[in-house]
Amino acid sequence: MLDIEKKELMIQTLKNKVNKQLLYYLDVCARCAICRDACHQYKVTRDPKYIPAYRAELIRRLYKKYFSVLGKLFPKIYEAKDIDDEFLLSELYQVTYACTGCRRCMYYCPFSIDTLHILSVAKAILLSAGMENQILRELSDAAIMKGENIELFKDIFVTMLKESEPEIREKIKDKNAQIPIDKKNADVLYVALSGMHSILPAAIIFDKAKINWTLSMFEAANYGYFLGDSQKAKTIADRIVSEAKRLNVKEVIITECGHAYRVMNFFYEAWTGQKPPFKVSALIDSISRYIKDGLIEVNKNPSSEIVTYHDPCQVGRNGGFFEEPRYVINAITDNFRELTPNRTKSWCCGGGGGLVAIPEMDEFRIKTGEIKANQIKETEARIIISPCENCRLQLDSLNEKYGMDIKVKSMMEFVAENLKV
Amino acid sequence: MNMDPFSFIVAILVYVAVIVFVAGMTFKIIVWAKSPRMKINLGIYPKPRNGFVRFFRIIRDSFIFPQTLEVDRWMWVFAMLFHAALFVALFGHFRLVREFTFVSNVIGQDNLNTLGAVGGGTMGIIMLIALGYYLFRRFASPYKDISVPEDFILIILLAGIVGLGDHMRFFGAVHTEDYREYFQSIMRFKPAFNEALAQSQTRWVLSWHVLFVNLFVIYFPFSKLVHLIGTFFANKVRSE
Repeated sequence: MLDIEKKELMIQTLKNKVNKQLLYYLDVCARCAICRDACHQYKVTRDPKYIPAYRAELIRRLYKKYFSVLGKLFPKIYEAKDIDDEFLLSELYQVTYACTGCRRCMYYCPFSIDTLHILSVAKAILLSAGMENQILRELSDAAIMKGENIELFKDIFVTMLKESEPEIREKIKDKNAQIPIDKKNADVLYVALSGMHSILPAAIIFDKAKINWTLSMFEAANYGYFLGDSQKAKTIADRIVSEAKRLNVKEVIITECGHAYRVMNFFYEAWTGQKPPFKVSALIDSISRYIKDGLIEVNKNPSSEIVTYHDPCQVGRNGGFFEEPRYVINAITDNFRELTPNRTKSWCCGGGGGLVAIPEMDEFRIKTGEIKANQIKETEARIIISPCENCRLQLDSLNEKYGMDIKVKSMMEFVAENLKV
Repeated sequence: MNMDPFSFIVAILVYVAVIVFVAGMTFKIIVWAKSPRMKINLGIYPKPRNGFVRFFRIIRDSFIFPQTLEVDRWMWVFAMLFHAALFVALFGHFRLVREFTFVSNVIGQDNLNTLGAVGGGTMGIIMLIALGYYLFRRFASPYKDISVPEDFILIILLAGIVGLGDHMRFFGAVHTEDYREYFQSIMRFKPAFNEALAQSQTRWVLSWHVLFVNLFVIYFPFSKLVHLIGTFFANKVRSE
């Protein structure tokens, strides 16, 4: 049993999260469960608690209990539950932090119910009860800590970058090429992930395209968003926003990371009430523009290896980039083969929502990635490209587990390899 | 006034039902309208190019929801059948408000009566079959795991309404004109049976039919059936 004060706080949290969208979703769901087979987690596990409608139903049961007249009078009709119902809370925790946020269920729902939106409310309630996912919390706190103590990290970071510069110079045959950092009045601030794999290929492309760019000292990933803590998420995003303001850049390019682009382009406005004061772009969009505008040129790859593309949910269905990545791939290879289904109907790889960062979810996410693995096998592709770090980590796991014999690449890596110099 | 106490109470309950329905739906819409709107648009891509396309998509997604067909064919088929039959049957009931003279003038009164009998009967059977599908689907796993009593209450109420309606359509010896007189007596706030209804056992079927409709209409604004209106708003969010 939770104490009264905590219970009140949870009810208040639910109340604060009520908006138009949430009410539509809570009021109209017919529990037809058409969404069941839209969800890869239900389709693989056959466990009813992973049906999107059931996940939403848990929040509906709380809502009915406290905010609906009939739900208060006749809770049994709606199976309305107390907010400190232990079984409900434990199920809520499981299904909420298991959700990858792919929103495939929303695509197939006749009412277009956004289960992810409902589960963001679930996360807020769990947070107010101190029941949030601990790994995601620690990762969020670490990111905030880094933001507050950036001077401690800077020297190591700069050393790491300097060591990589010769590689760029050799690759694009330009002895002045570098990875600029802290450069005032640059046109572009590039926000990468931690690790050179997301910095080096992008640097090669920017330097070849002669972009006046600078590298952010922070990584694009936002574990506060996965945690569902909008305060922490905002603080983490603010590190980049204030860096961009300080350096007076015109455009912030977010690396190939599904949620990071959405955080900067959509959610930052939701959390702060204002749009960031610069243009936000996704790296795949920028790369396709550079090729179209002739800033960089790519070689047609002579290899006959089949290349396929996985639409990350946050980049495609939820981010709006379907044709840009295909344009780039088709510029490099004649052997592109689509996964079926693709684009808006793309299956989630199973690694989204921060799942790849949570060790206790490893078995579950690899198991529920089965659909994606089968899709990829059908194409007989040897290379799969996906512009999302979580997807790539998951695809690597699937490659190992399901023996797909495939190379997982980011778009920038694929482009940098095939760059005309 | 020729009415037994039960039928009289049921007729009076019609007024209560209309008031509760109108007040309940108004309340619901006010609550929706007064709630804050999320600041950002979180629709699904690709998004409509302009307002015209968006409007078209909201209508398409609300009435046909084609994407559902791909993931659950039978549910889509039965949902379509049920809602279409419901719409046609409901439309047919307007003959009780005023005879469709614009139809009888063209095809003749006898043909209109035949059309009503065959059309209404078919719709009634389709609805009953669809409700049977809805109900038995809920008994099966995994649907039973996510069903709550509300779902069964609504199916039972609807099955009562449709079943009794079908009974009148197929077994009743009462004609449309007599039902029209009954309906209009309620509209004039003077509920009464005419001779034909008062003499017939069908009046019991009629009163039970109306009782189920009353209960259904009273429960409507407090149930998931508000999707009648909510679907347009929710589908709008998808396209924004």
